[in-house]
Amino acid sequence: MNAPAVVTDALSAGYGGRPVLTDVSFAAAPGQTVCVLGPNGGGKTTLFRALIGELEPLAGSVTLSGRPAYVAQTERTRLDFPVSAFDVALMGALVRGRWWLPPRRSDRVAARAALERVGLGAEADTAFGELSGGQRQRALLARALVQDSPVLLLDEPLAGVDPASAQQIDAVFAELRAEGRTLLVSSHDVEGARGFDLVLCLNRRQVAFGPPGAALDRATIEATYGRELIVLDEAGAGRAVTVQHHDHGHSES
Amino acid sequence: MPSPIDLADVPFLREALVEVLLLGVAGGLLSAWIVLRRLAFFTHAVGSATFPGLVVADASGVSPLLAGVAVALGYAGGVERAGRAGREPSEATALLLVAALAGGVVLASDVFESGAAVDRLLFGTLLGLGPGDLALSAAIVALAAAASLTLGRAWSAIAFDPDGAPALGLPAARADFLLLALVAVAAVAAIPAVGAILVAAIYVLPGAAARLVTRTIPALLACAVVLGLAEGVLGLYAAYWLDLPPGPPVAVLGALTYAVLALGTR
Amino acid sequence: MSGIELRATIELVLAGGFCGALGFWVLSERLAYAGESLSHGMLPGLVLAALAGAPLLLGAAGGALAAAGLIALAARDTRVGPDTGTAVAVTGLVGLGSLLALAPDAPQRLGELLFGDPLGVSDGDLAAAAALVLAGGGALAALRRPLAATAFDPAGASSLGFSPALVRLTLLGLMAAAIAIAVQGLGALLVLAALVGPPVAVRRHVRTPGEAMLAGAAVAAAAGAAGVQLSAHAGSAAGASVALVLCAAAGLGAALPARGLG
Repeated sequence: MNAPAVVTDALSAGYGGRPVLTDVSFAAAPGQTVCVLGPNGGGKTTLFRALIGELEPLAGSVTLSGRPAYVAQTERTRLDFPVSAFDVALMGALVRGRWWLPPRRSDRVAARAALERVGLGAEADTAFGELSGGQRQRALLARALVQDSPVLLLDEPLAGVDPASAQQIDAVFAELRAEGRTLLVSSHDVEGARGFDLVLCLNRRQVAFGPPGAALDRATIEATYGRELIVLDEAGAGRAVTVQHHDHGHSES
Repeated sequence: MPSPIDLADVPFLREALVEVLLLGVAGGLLSAWIVLRRLAFFTHAVGSATFPGLVVADASGVSPLLAGVAVALGYAGGVERAGRAGREPSEATALLLVAALAGGVVLASDVFESGAAVDRLLFGTLLGLGPGDLALSAAIVALAAAASLTLGRAWSAIAFDPDGAPALGLPAARADFLLLALVAVAAVAAIPAVGAILVAAIYVLPGAAARLVTRTIPALLACAVVLGLAEGVLGLYAAYWLDLPPGPPVAVLGALTYAVLALGTR
Repeated sequence: MSGIELRATIELVLAGGFCGALGFWVLSERLAYAGESLSHGMLPGLVLAALAGAPLLLGAAGGALAAAGLIALAARDTRVGPDTGTAVAVTGLVGLGSLLALAPDAPQRLGELLFGDPLGVSDGDLAAAAALVLAGGGALAALRRPLAATAFDPAGASSLGFSPALVRLTLLGLMAAAIAIAVQGLGALLVLAALVGPPVAVRRHVRTPGEAMLAGAAVAAAAGAAGVQLSAHAGSAAGASVALVLCAAAGLGAALPARGLG
């Protein structure tokens, strides 16, 4: 295997000294996609915050091949903040340092190209708050593309997104994989997880990690989702769906 | 140092003493609820909001208490309708209060040319506390006591979960507004003694300090009353001794008490 | 315009302009209440400077530092909550400041410290204000992009290599500096109008943070000049007049139909 792009070793993370996520150990190579499954409050967002360095690990370690790009859910961004889609994409160039100077011409070119790539070329000058949910998600993805990072963390990128935008986003994912980048995507879609290279199941601790065929068995899914589970098709392949909640208001301080 | 007995002997001081005793009880009782319901900013704001109204009343012979109560209730109503009780103030509120203070200053110094009134209205006075002021304060004490007994459970429930309170039913929402209205009128009652911008010295500081050293609501109420009485009387004495308006010494004593208790109970 | 009026106008244009520009970030990071607490809490520092005959700016800076520290300490208690803790600290500080100022042998300057005294500004004050505004304006220009990234999306800003906590702290420092400069003209109780009024006036009409800062500065400067003229012709208190114009501008801007964003 190539040198891994993301490695965590017995990682524990939390807020105010108290861990909400313990003992996470996994590794992903360049070009691999990892689906991070878990209930709300199970630690998916906490893991991402530890990976981007917003949270210091309470125990264990994180090793990354480069600063990861983070595509949060648009609810966490300010819809009334006066920026256009182009301005948002351009923010990705800030990783290249010299933030006190105006953006370079090459940065502007990269931002335009990224918007084209996600299908927002025509909406470049539209205010971020005036875009649809799917368009906003694509604008945040464009910012991550400009960041040009070997690792991308995406927090439920397809939640509440219209089918056309979802298709566009999926296409970009395939391109990023082919470019050898590593994607960690948190999701509630257990069935969709089977399409990823690896799955990581979290429920305040690591429940399972590995290729979906091996890791996503009935016991794992139940341990991950507990009472949030609704099982269809008992006798057959044991397909299960999870109950989705959208109360993201209270999690972080 | 003047004799503390003067507070009971000297005529105008006697009235001031009665006033701070009444405010000590009212302040103790209400500050407990104010701290629980997170109404500290509202308390301060309602005092400041009445300032221009008081200036106009003062200069035109209208009863300042009446004018103050009218403005205060109006402000309380606005806050309740906007659903902002117990929340951090909005930018609009902050600007409204600045406008109220600036407007009051302009009215006092340039329209009515009653500049001396500004200090009195902002920081209180030892002199000139009349029977009307004492009567209002006594009424507040009675209302605060009665309300604590009857509405206390509803107020506790709302303080515990302000967003879930409407689901508890209409009485809860009305009880909440009654608290705001009572605090508003109580604030006006304290203005003659401690001034419009230091009403929190009566209605926040005792409850805040008491909250640090008590675990139950009855204990909180009792401790806040004791602190309110002590801070009021000592502050009055300091004002008499140092020739100051009463508001600042009461505020400083209240803050120091809080600091000592906070450090002592860490 | 007399020399006094001219100096007052320049002071208010400079200090107000800086506050008006910074105010956009104060609103974006929801620091208005912190600004109000800081400006009220610096009163003892102002009074001590006035009693000692020291430059007001020094008292403002020291007072702001002390207030910030005390408020931060008081706000940490979870039993009463940060807003109550802040109220205790600010009430105590305002009480202390007015106590010192109203002591019988103190020079009676409390009114100016509370409500401003733009007509009493000296050439030295002007020079200090100009230097600070230049430095502060330069800092704002340099920090423009990280401030925008952090205000828009703190988690995303972390992934870009910024610390939202550090950005917020820098903003608090700039706010303290802005308040310290503007308190000469507007006083501790009214200075918040310069910080909050202009951004409220322009925020529904601008499309970028840069526009917001420039428009805010322009509104604040215009309000400062207008306030001095109003004060001169109507005979009203200068600082309070400027504050009223700033509040009126905010109301007007909020009421006009929005341009940029829906």
